[in-house]
Amino acid sequence: MNWFYFFLITTLAALPARAFAHGANIEYRETSAITIEAKYDDGTPMANAQVIVYAPSDRATPWLKGTTDEAGTFTFVPDTDAENVGDWDIKVRQSGHGDITSIPIASDESNTVDTQLSSDGSGYTSAQKAVMAAAGIWGFVGTALFFSRSKSSKLD
Amino acid sequence: MHIPDGFLPPSVCITGYALTGGVTWCCLRQIQRDRDIGANIPKASLLTAAFFVSSLIHIPIPPTSIHLIFNGLMGAILGFYAFPAILIGLFFQTVMFQHGGMSTLGINAIIIASPAIAAYYLFQQRERLRGAKPSITTILSFACGAGALLLSATMFVLLLVTNISPDMDVNAERSAILLSLGGYSIQAIIEGVFTAMSISFLEKVKPELLRS
Repeated sequence: MNWFYFFLITTLAALPARAFAHGANIEYRETSAITIEAKYDDGTPMANAQVIVYAPSDRATPWLKGTTDEAGTFTFVPDTDAENVGDWDIKVRQSGHGDITSIPIASDESNTVDTQLSSDGSGYTSAQKAVMAAAGIWGFVGTALFFSRSKSSKLD
Repeated sequence: MHIPDGFLPPSVCITGYALTGGVTWCCLRQIQRDRDIGANIPKASLLTAAFFVSSLIHIPIPPTSIHLIFNGLMGAILGFYAFPAILIGLFFQTVMFQHGGMSTLGINAIIIASPAIAAYYLFQQRERLRGAKPSITTILSFACGAGALLLSATMFVLLLVTNISPDMDVNAERSAILLSLGGYSIQAIIEGVFTAMSISFLEKVKPELLRS
């Protein structure tokens, strides 16, 4: 029996000290993250495109760099210090294509509404684009018709 | 192939505008000498409409999708009218569909419209080679379409590669840009075939259109 206690005590003593520190503590707080979704103008997502985020306090140095995922999305949590209240610039680039967008970030207290804004380059629907294209084409066709009008109609 | 705003430093954008201004002036002078302006302006205007709307037609070729440009076809048919026609088309594409940017309009005109003038000179060789072989027009028009596009793609890639923002992962972006050349070479073949088909069709139906 003594041998049993001897083994028990030596085993417990040999356990690493950190094994007793298994307790973990997770703290949480709610922050407003910004998710951007980058797409080409035909709707295909810009997967693995480079994203550069510039904070209002220093527009020359990147605040954060990253890449979009397969769906063309990228999420970051802006820092809402007083010096970084204002327009954050987000640049997305991939093989010569890309855009730059500004997201207005307010201070912590009033952030809830402002960060709900979403922005996508042109913001036109397909129908609007079709009408614009048709109007443009009609402009060019009209120019062609104007210059090709017959001599007799010019005299009128 | 339209460079958006913010990709190039201001010095390059200003140089682009200066070059475009100079070339437009030269082309307008050539147009002024044309005896048949009244017949050529409608032709230029209709092709500008085609150029303007062609950027909305997307062909998916990984990693991105391409849209047709037809600068070789415009150069072959319009000659010196092609430069101002493409410039106007680019302006409308920028304003209406955000293809390209206002600051880069000059440089985009150089990238897209100057190969059209090169295609015009190439297509003019047809007059010299007339009677050699009947298929010479088809070969020349394919070369105009494909060559003009490849020339544009080369200028586009060179400009982007030499002006990558230092904030970015330069190597990754450079390899992505060079990879896009693969897509452009497929586009060059598509445009070459389309140009050859359009020109042989016009030659059968309305051959006077090709004599600018």
